[in-house]
Amino acid sequence: MDNISLDLKEGEILGFLGPNGAGKTTTIQMLLGALTPTKGEIVYFGKDLKNNHEEILEQVNFSSTYTDFPIDLTVKENLTYFSYLYNIKNRKQRIERITEIFRLNDLINQPIRNLSTGQKTRVNLAKALINFPKILLLDEPTALLDPEAAKYIRDFLLNERKEFQVSIILTSHNMAEVEEVCDRVIFIDKGKIIADDTPDNLARSIEVSHVKLFIKDGLKRTVELCQKETISYRIEGRYIIVDLNEQDIPEFLRGLMSQGVYYDEITIDKPTLEDYFLQVIGKK
Amino acid sequence: MKLYRIYGITLRYLFLFRHSINKVADAFYWPVIDLLLWGLTITYVRSANPGSDNFIMVVISGLLLWQVVWRGQYEITISLLEDLWNKNLINIFTTPLKLNEWIVSVIVLGIIKAFISLVFASAVALFLYQVKILFYGFYLIPFVLLLFMTGWWVGFFVAGIILRYGTKLEQLAWSTIYLISPFSGIYYPISILPVWAQKVSYLIPTSYIFEGSREVIQKGYLADVSKLWNCLILNLVYLVISLIFFKKSYNKVLENKGLVKVF
Repeated sequence: MDNISLDLKEGEILGFLGPNGAGKTTTIQMLLGALTPTKGEIVYFGKDLKNNHEEILEQVNFSSTYTDFPIDLTVKENLTYFSYLYNIKNRKQRIERITEIFRLNDLINQPIRNLSTGQKTRVNLAKALINFPKILLLDEPTALLDPEAAKYIRDFLLNERKEFQVSIILTSHNMAEVEEVCDRVIFIDKGKIIADDTPDNLARSIEVSHVKLFIKDGLKRTVELCQKETISYRIEGRYIIVDLNEQDIPEFLRGLMSQGVYYDEITIDKPTLEDYFLQVIGKK
Repeated sequence: MKLYRIYGITLRYLFLFRHSINKVADAFYWPVIDLLLWGLTITYVRSANPGSDNFIMVVISGLLLWQVVWRGQYEITISLLEDLWNKNLINIFTTPLKLNEWIVSVIVLGIIKAFISLVFASAVALFLYQVKILFYGFYLIPFVLLLFMTGWWVGFFVAGIILRYGTKLEQLAWSTIYLISPFSGIYYPISILPVWAQKVSYLIPTSYIFEGSREVIQKGYLADVSKLWNCLILNLVYLVISLIFFKKSYNKVLENKGLVKVF
C-alpha cells in the first residue's frame, strides 16, 4: 500500500473497489492487525490498534472468502470456541440466535468438510457477527453465494447498520451490490486510493451513457454514422447500443433522422459504478 | 492473559482430537506398537542373557518418558500446522487472542494429551511387562516436568521455522525431536557414546533425566540431584531462546506476508 488514509463513520458502509491485486485484502489485513504497516497508524474509537489490540478486536470482526475453518470441527464447535475467544455471555443463546439468522440450524452438528462453499460462507458470516461487532470488515462476503442468499446477506447488513449502527467495510467485485449497499466507495489501484466518493457521484463522473435503439429500418446507415463520428457501438440483433456523452445524444438522434433511419424503441442507461470501474481499469 | 481465551483455544484443539482418527492414533496406537516391539525384543534379549532384569525396566520406562518429550513438542507444531493447513490462523489471531495465550493453550493441550497417552501406555506396560512407571515415586514429577520443557522449546523452535518458511518444511514437525534422541541416552548410558557425542549430550537437557532415571532404577534413589538442576537450567535457557525466536518469526510474518498469506 502506498500512503493511504481513510476514515469510517459510525453506521457507515464503505466499499473497497479495485482490480485484483489492487490492495483491498492487504488493507483489510492491516486494519485487523494481521499485517503490520511499515509506517503510519490505525486508530479505532480514538485508540491506536498497535497498543490497544485486545480492546479494539473485541469490538471488531471480519469475514473473508480467503479463510477457512478447521474442517473436522462442526459448525457448533467452531462457533463455540470463537464465543470463548470473544468472551460472549450467554454463549449458548447467542450461538442459537446467530445460526438461526444465517439459516444454519440444520447444519449445526455437521463438520465443516461436509458443507458447500455457500454454507461455509454463511458460517464465516455467523462467526463475524458472534461478538456483536461495532465494526465489521467483510472481504467479498457474497462472492460464493447464490443470488437469493446474497440478497439475504445484503438485507441483513443493511438492517444491522440501521438497528445497531454497525460500521462496515466491504470489498466486492459485484458492482450492483456495492451500489445498493455502500454509502461511500474507495477505489484502490496499485496500492493507492484513486477515488473516494459516493457510488452515485463516481458513476456520474462518467459522462458516457448507453443508448439502446431498436432499428426498424436503416441499421447499416446507423453503423456508418457511428463509424463516421467515431462513436463506440455494438449490435445485438436489430438493436444497436451506442456509448454517448449525455449532451451529444440529441445531436446523434438528429443525425439518424437526417439519414432516414427509423427506430421505434429507445432506452438510455445512465452510467453505473461498473462503467466507472471499467473506465478506470481501461485507462490503465 | 485471559483464562477464557486460553480455554477457548484449548477447547478448539480438543474438539479436533475428538474427531480426528489421526490424533487418536497418535495418542494410543503408536505408543502401544512401540511398547509391543521394544518389549518383545527386550524379553527375547533377556531370555538369552539371564540376570539382565533391569534392562526391560530401563527400556520400557525410557519409552514411556520419551512419550512426554515427543508429545510436548508435537502438540505445539501440529497445532500450528493444523491452523496453517486450514487457513485458520487469521481467524484466530484477529480475535482478541494474544500470542502468549496461544502459547499457553498449546502447552496445556500437550500436558492433557501427554497425560492421557502416558496413563494409557503405562497401563499397557504394566499389563504386558509388569513395568510400573510409578516405581520412580516422587522423582517422576520433576522428570516429567523437565522432559515436557524440552518438548516445548524444541516445539517452539520448529514452529518458528515453519512460520517463517511455510508448510514446505512441515516434515520438521515430526522429525526434529529425534535429532536429540541419540544424545539423550533414552535406552543406554551416555558413557557408551563416542567422546564428541558425550560432549554434545551435556548440552541436551534430556540426557540428565534419562541418566537419572536409570540411576533411580538401579539404586532406588537419585544420588546426584544436580542432574535435575542442570536439566532445568539448560531447559530454561533454550525455552527463552525458542520463545523469542517464535515471537520474532510471528512478527516477521506480520511484517512481510500477513496472516492470510502464511501457509
